[in-house]
Amino acid sequence: MTLESVMETIALDITESTKTLFETMIMMDLKYNESSLVDDTQIKTDVIGLVSFTGKYHGVIALFCSKQFALKVASTMLMTELTGFTSEVKDAIGEVSNMIAGNVKTKLMAQYGDMHLSIPIVIAGEGLSITAVNNHPVVADTTLSCFSKDPWLMTPFISGNEKFNIGLLLKESNK
Amino acid sequence: MPKVLIIDDSSVMRKIIQRNIQQSGLLVDEFVEAGDGREGLEKAASNDIDLILCDWNMPNMTGIDFVKALRGSGQKNNIPIVMVTTEGSETKIEEAKNSGANGYLTKPFTPEQLKSKLGNFLLVK
Repeated sequence: MTLESVMETIALDITESTKTLFETMIMMDLKYNESSLVDDTQIKTDVIGLVSFTGKYHGVIALFCSKQFALKVASTMLMTELTGFTSEVKDAIGEVSNMIAGNVKTKLMAQYGDMHLSIPIVIAGEGLSITAVNNHPVVADTTLSCFSKDPWLMTPFISGNEKFNIGLLLKESNK
Repeated sequence: MPKVLIIDDSSVMRKIIQRNIQQSGLLVDEFVEAGDGREGLEKAASNDIDLILCDWNMPNMTGIDFVKALRGSGQKNNIPIVMVTTEGSETKIEEAKNSGANGYLTKPFTPEQLKSKLGNFLLVK
């Protein structure tokens, strides 16, 4: 199985897990489009919720969204109208990222054995871009960060008038 | 009336669990919260807890380490523990049960699934 086909399978798992999460705990309608490879120059976002994983494959699953959408998700989860970008909003985005990655991990473990997930990290700002600096040394062969030079396999989702993306970076370990 | 300890590093998740229990009609007198396994052990030791809901992946002390530590402590080691976690593989469920967890619920969950799982440990109004 090529890395590309593994990534496509995981992207389908991401879509299914995200859909299930939004149907059961966030109660927001969700539509999605086909996944495609996106390089770092095409990414501009306010909020990134990311979880990295290690195992036979290692990588990052990350949610990219606007502050407005993050507020909407947190407000819906807490059933209260949040107006400011508080720590609760970041916590909610971290938990959403964690639940998506966790469910993908369960599916992957059935095929590829034990895997480990990191605690979610949330980065927030305005119009954030990700830049992989040329010739930057690789930190370790078994980890990837959101600053990887590799392209993301990005799945776009639409909820109401808001768009958000779930991205995947993946590499096979010990190669 | 029962006192429930919720251990999860997400304060949002702790609130969601609390709200779902309150709306489900399950009888709970008080909720106690902890952000990781270590704090969970402290709260379990200093409160009369009737049921513990515990996440798996947390900083400082994971949920599975909390379960092992509480069950091996010799004190309050018979409080029922339900794991509420994204870890949904058979291997992890088996590991949790072998370590002393009494129930298992995977996230995301519906309010009905939570009520059904906790109905084994709490009375309904």
